[in-house]
Amino acid sequence: MYKSFEFTQKIKTFLIALMVIGAVLTVVGVVMNLDHGHRIWANVLLNGFYFTAIAMGAAFFVVVHILGEGGWQTSIQRIPEAISQYVPIGGVTMLLVLVGMHDIYHWTHPDPDDTILLGKVPFLNPVFFSIRTIVYIAVWTFLVFKIRKMSLASDSSTDIKLFTKTRNWAGVFIVLFAITSSTSAWDWIMSIDSHWFSTLFGWYMFVSSFVAAVAMIIILLFVLRKMGYMEHVNEEHMHDLGKYLFGFSIFWAYLWVSQYLLIWYSNIPEETIYFVQRQEDFGMIFWANVIINFLAPFLILMARGTKRKMNWLLIAAVIVFFGHWIDMYVAIWPGTLGHADFGILEIGMTTLVLGVFLFSFFRQFAKAPVVPENHPYFKESFDYDNIR
Amino acid sequence: MQEKTYVSGYFPDDKDLIVAIKELQEKNVAITDVRTPFPVHGLDTVLKMRRSRLPRAGFIAGVIGCAIGFGFQAWVFTEAWPLNFGGKPFMSVPSFIPVTFELTVLFAAFALVFGFLMRSNLGPGSDNIIFDEEVTNDRFQILLEADGNADSLQESLQSVGALGVQLHEVKS
Amino acid sequence: MYVSPVREPLISGEKSYTKVTEDIYAPMTGKPGKAWYAGLTLALLALMFGMFSIFVTVWDGIGTWGLDRTIGWGWGITNFVWWVGIGHAGTFISAILLLFRQKWRTSINRSAEAMTIFAVMCAGLFPLIHMGRLPLGFFIFPYPNTRDVWVNFNSPLLWDVFAISTYLTVSVLFWYMGLIPDIGTIRDKLVPGIKKKIYGFLSFGWTGSARHWARHESMSLILAGLAAPLVLSVHTIVSFDFATSVIPGWHTTIFPPYFVSGAVFSGFAMVLTLMIITRKAINLEDYITKTHLESMNKIIIATGSIVGIAYITELFIAWYSGVVYEQYAFVNRAFGPYWWAYWIMMTCNVITPQLFWIKKIRRSFAATFVISIFVNIGMWFERFVIIVTSLHRDFLPSSWSMYTPTWVEVGIYVGTFGLFFTLFFLFIRFFPVIAIAEVKSVLKTSAEKFIKKGK
Repeated sequence: MYKSFEFTQKIKTFLIALMVIGAVLTVVGVVMNLDHGHRIWANVLLNGFYFTAIAMGAAFFVVVHILGEGGWQTSIQRIPEAISQYVPIGGVTMLLVLVGMHDIYHWTHPDPDDTILLGKVPFLNPVFFSIRTIVYIAVWTFLVFKIRKMSLASDSSTDIKLFTKTRNWAGVFIVLFAITSSTSAWDWIMSIDSHWFSTLFGWYMFVSSFVAAVAMIIILLFVLRKMGYMEHVNEEHMHDLGKYLFGFSIFWAYLWVSQYLLIWYSNIPEETIYFVQRQEDFGMIFWANVIINFLAPFLILMARGTKRKMNWLLIAAVIVFFGHWIDMYVAIWPGTLGHADFGILEIGMTTLVLGVFLFSFFRQFAKAPVVPENHPYFKESFDYDNIR
Repeated sequence: MQEKTYVSGYFPDDKDLIVAIKELQEKNVAITDVRTPFPVHGLDTVLKMRRSRLPRAGFIAGVIGCAIGFGFQAWVFTEAWPLNFGGKPFMSVPSFIPVTFELTVLFAAFALVFGFLMRSNLGPGSDNIIFDEEVTNDRFQILLEADGNADSLQESLQSVGALGVQLHEVKS
Repeated sequence: MYVSPVREPLISGEKSYTKVTEDIYAPMTGKPGKAWYAGLTLALLALMFGMFSIFVTVWDGIGTWGLDRTIGWGWGITNFVWWVGIGHAGTFISAILLLFRQKWRTSINRSAEAMTIFAVMCAGLFPLIHMGRLPLGFFIFPYPNTRDVWVNFNSPLLWDVFAISTYLTVSVLFWYMGLIPDIGTIRDKLVPGIKKKIYGFLSFGWTGSARHWARHESMSLILAGLAAPLVLSVHTIVSFDFATSVIPGWHTTIFPPYFVSGAVFSGFAMVLTLMIITRKAINLEDYITKTHLESMNKIIIATGSIVGIAYITELFIAWYSGVVYEQYAFVNRAFGPYWWAYWIMMTCNVITPQLFWIKKIRRSFAATFVISIFVNIGMWFERFVIIVTSLHRDFLPSSWSMYTPTWVEVGIYVGTFGLFFTLFFLFIRFFPVIAIAEVKSVLKTSAEKFIKKGK
């Protein structure tokens, strides 16, 4: 009844081609920028972080529905599950960042009279930083594997104990991720602007990646449907995905405004420097980030009808996916390069990592039935509707 | 003074109600109203009701509220009484956001609620006729307006299994 | 609508549609019990004491309070923020949980929304008192005047005015729109007479027409969509009162979402405290069950843990920032003269709610009742800690001082409890405490009787 996904040679060839193009462009870009180490490493960090964060965002999507006892999402659950399996691969990219630490993070080599940075040394030093990076990746990999494994186990067993066990592990996931999502964002992104600090930053980054993950789920759902799979997904499911994208885009904008407004209003130079630099040197991109990521999904998905049409959803999702790439760009570039640069290197590396990401997704998605048919809430997913 | 005649019958369960409505529709009986103790799932599609335009009214009011909220603040601080606070520009957009948002929501909410009340002829002192006081308790009532054919309507209601079929004469 | 057999029933006992009406109508009939009169009397006494305290404040001046030059905000603002926070549960339950299709909200949304409205009224009292002259409260609204001057829209305190008055208005609209079908039910239950006329008037002529229901649902959904960000905005803006300043311990960007989370946390605690008593007092045990309790307690853990993470984040970033004032503010909170307030806050907000990870505790009414009171206390101390510990140390040590409330401030706080409970006692007597129509709409999918039959 539910057509199993087959990772055909055609898709493989396409994705390999994508990766090869990406790799070639990356090599060209790297060669062109050999004397700009900052730029190369900034690209590694951006793509490493963004796609890992999307994978974790997708895992969060699964877990939060397990804990919230959601029923509707079981029809699409295997998509975020398969996305989440990218975490170890993304982790490898993040380990690469450790190699280029010196070019990204100013705190790796503080000036001897920089008392602020010297004060942060107990936390921000290469050894501890590397340990933390490895811990995040190890913990996250363990968690996403665990959740996935239990979901796959449900395909061959209807034991209700498995369901309870999944819920317990989801609890463990949420606790560990609640802590590591913030700390990893401080480590990997916030510490680029080594003197700057913002308590909200971790949550902001988390929501940014969650929105991107929802966008990614929608994009992949569209692709799968185009290929003739996931025919069982109906308008109600799209409506709900649309609501997620719509609602959390607004929530992201809310956090953006909260952070900006408080720093703007208080006008403390140590804090405003972050936005001053971005507004002056990244003016257009800085404002585009807000406008694209808030206004586009807000206006496109406000009406009920658009949330229920795959094409409209896709448009919003694609915009949001690239929009949050820009969000990461605005977070990383000013502290590493200090000016906006966009060229072959950026296009190439993003294409390459996207290719790897998609390859990982399709490979994982082909490994299991496209729906968890034995999930206790599975039938609910086809018998509900949204209020008109 | 005009007199209107209605025929009503009720069902104790919402499932029977929907079946009965479908049967009546097959017999080409026009259904004037259906009254239920709670929103019955799927009734709107069976009765082929048009989707409410309230969301649109709410949206328009929200846009107006947004424009008024932002416009007024901008006018106050650039034209009416420019006020220096902390050396910030008079036209300080970020600090206009909260009030603008609140007014957007307030206007939209008022439009929705009053739109709902007016479209449904509800409100303080509204004199809608209640044909059966048990409707708000546990009866799912079908209401048909008779145009000299009260007897045949009563029959068709009985034939689809309605209970307590009766005639109401209302002066209006 | 299919419901998985794994899900627990929300409503226990043999319930039919009529039974639901009768059960919820029952507390409104007959003579109220002695307990009700005793409670109302107590609440009115507290209210009178509060009014007397307000009178003293206005007559003798703000000198009757324990405030001084450095500590300009004390109990008044603490209570204001605390009450606004409590006023977040109702609209959260009815708006956000409606958007998330949580059926268990149907049994608690009505009374929680009522609590929201009453709590916001209590909160609104404090800014009015702070104006010194209660009848001049309208000064805060922008109205054309002979001086040609407008209110300062750049001030977070003015944002509060807009946020809270909008919130109160929208909450009342939402609550009342949900009420009219149920008032209609009550109207039809009553024998003809003056009471029936009054409820008839209040029911706005509700008939239960399918068209009205369709519009009602559509309106509720959009209102919920509007109210959801509104709930967030209110405590966000309250947090702006503090966070837009440059006072160490106040100026931190995590405040908006953290305040919202704390507000929902304390609101849920208050709803639990009261609902656990109310369900017993007016025999609604079948409608507010362990399933409801468990769901609510899950939200308590979630929001409580978010608050806990925010505390630790603040603490860590204070160290990380390298700003000495910021660091001092946090060390002083934990180990300064107000250390006890800080540790009460930490224990009640972060540690005790973690007990809800244990299923048995999460499903126990007695344990929940105790923990919910702990949360209420903890959240009050959170505001006290934020406000007083940040103010009692100025940048100049010569301005350092201590703050103790006077009986007048305590009296006003007691008075708001009086107001809150007076309104609540009247509410449970004259209005249906549970949304009758909404419970009926989930009866077939969530009542024990129907689910058992299905199996």
